[in-house]
Amino acid sequence: MELLITALIIAAVLFGIGLYGALSQTNLVMIMMGIELMLGAAMINLVAFWRFLHPDAFSLQMFVLVAMTVMALEGAVGFAIATQRFRTSGTVEMEESAELKG
Amino acid sequence: MISVQLILLIIFGLAAIWFGWRVFMTSSMVRSALSLLASMVAIGILFLVMEAEFLGVLQIMMMGTEMSIMAIFMMMYMMDPGGLGQMDMYHQKNISIAAGVIVTVFIVGAALAADWGTIATQFPGPHEQNRLLGMEILKRSMMIFETAGVTILTGMIASITVALSIKNSVEK
Repeated sequence: MELLITALIIAAVLFGIGLYGALSQTNLVMIMMGIELMLGAAMINLVAFWRFLHPDAFSLQMFVLVAMTVMALEGAVGFAIATQRFRTSGTVEMEESAELKG
Repeated sequence: MISVQLILLIIFGLAAIWFGWRVFMTSSMVRSALSLLASMVAIGILFLVMEAEFLGVLQIMMMGTEMSIMAIFMMMYMMDPGGLGQMDMYHQKNISIAAGVIVTVFIVGAALAADWGTIATQFPGPHEQNRLLGMEILKRSMMIFETAGVTILTGMIASITVALSIKNSVEK
């Protein structure tokens, strides 16, 4: 039991750090780094649930693969937005993106 | 009883947390990207400690490339990639700290309070795991896996479209 709880606590702290980063950073790439940390925490949970609760349910490992796909896509689309943003306004600081407000 | 697995889990878990924290605590963008790389590698080692060998190796390989690309983008797009100017890159700091702490405490509380049932002691070996994961992908979860493939394709098209220069496309 202590192995599962340890893994879940590690994931919870990583998720909290990622959330802090995603909310507090003004730079688009740094916000993406926070999201990556949160997804990493979710993957630790999935692997821990697979290993310690349901080692015969490989759909949990499958979900880790889907989470990795989401991480890669988040990076690709985020960098594309950063590239376009840098072209149009010369910066990727989100503080200067107030014109995106409705 | 403290097992070797628990000790390794704690060591690499603390490494993942420490490097994750360092991502937002340094002024240098390159150091941030490398800290995130180290955190992701520590997460990959955590997978290996939890005996998910395939996922562990995949995580380390994928994140190694992704974070290297991220470091390059950071240097391209930052006015001060070395952090020499000590730029302030934070906003709503207190709310963010409060949100991070509250969510962490809530999840830890839920993890401690939940009844997780019996802990599995028997699990498939690495070779059997790979075979069973392959069978899962090709049988019950095939639709989900195919959806992930289509999502990657859509993401690629979306990324290229978004990143295209508007000026050039108008000229053509």
